[in-house]
Amino acid sequence: MRRLILPLRLLLGAVFAYAAYTKLRQPWMLFAMSIDAYQILPQWAVLLLGHWLPWVELSIGVLLAAGILLRYIAAGAAGLLVVFFTLMARAFVKGMAIDCGCFGLGEAISAASLARDGLLVALSLVLTWLARRDAARAVNRV
Amino acid sequence: MDVYSDFQCPGCKALYETTLRPLIDNYVDKGKIYLVHHDFPLPMHAFAMQAACYARAAHRIGKYDQVADVLFRQQQYWAASGKVGETACSVLTLGEAKEVQALAKDPTVVAEVQADIQAGVAAHVDGTPTVFLKRGVTQYRIPTGAGYQILARFIDQLLSN
Repeated sequence: MRRLILPLRLLLGAVFAYAAYTKLRQPWMLFAMSIDAYQILPQWAVLLLGHWLPWVELSIGVLLAAGILLRYIAAGAAGLLVVFFTLMARAFVKGMAIDCGCFGLGEAISAASLARDGLLVALSLVLTWLARRDAARAVNRV
Repeated sequence: MDVYSDFQCPGCKALYETTLRPLIDNYVDKGKIYLVHHDFPLPMHAFAMQAACYARAAHRIGKYDQVADVLFRQQQYWAASGKVGETACSVLTLGEAKEVQALAKDPTVVAEVQADIQAGVAAHVDGTPTVFLKRGVTQYRIPTGAGYQILARFIDQLLSN
């Protein structure tokens, strides 16, 4: 099972870094509009997240790929993905015809995008569990 | 701003009512931006093509805004009943209504709608509503469901550059 950690962190790291890249190459306000379309947050929070969330995603991607503070970063990534998935599922159930905002512009929320994000949630939870178990075993060895 | 829209699509109705109306009042009417409506009736909507033809026909007699407005406002009614012509003509005089009814079946009007669909396909429009904002040679695809406030901020930013 321990051998799974490397491919999982590289895969999730690449996904986070790519998600950040697709947002950072556009004006940040376009991503803010994607967040705004979910109709959950006040405008100040939408603008704050639109500006900074891609950088947070990029940081998570780099740290995951590098394996730095893995159990904490993996838990953070899983938490973020759970939030994204919950918001997307809510919008889908409510029949909101909006962009997902996951990987740049023009991708509507659909069963396919939910399935993909659900898979990412599952992988991130597995990585979090493996990283914690690995860290606990290392402590026991010491 | 290029808007690809379908009169029978609920998302297009929401866009029109919550975003485009204030945008027209505050930016288009004040000459700050141009808004170009493109018809993109989806095959899954039985009366969307007919509605687009009526709106185009109304444009020919200078009554586009009134007809587009009533088509969106009464969308649920005509989408369920199929009474597109009745709805479109409800905001016109008797003479205008007769003219629009004839024009809606005019092959040149139908061809204009078809040309819009082709333009949409060429622009990689895969659903409605799809909105593009152009400034010089740069084009931005506006996320579906974007609210007016942040879109207006973005337009202000583009205009100030």
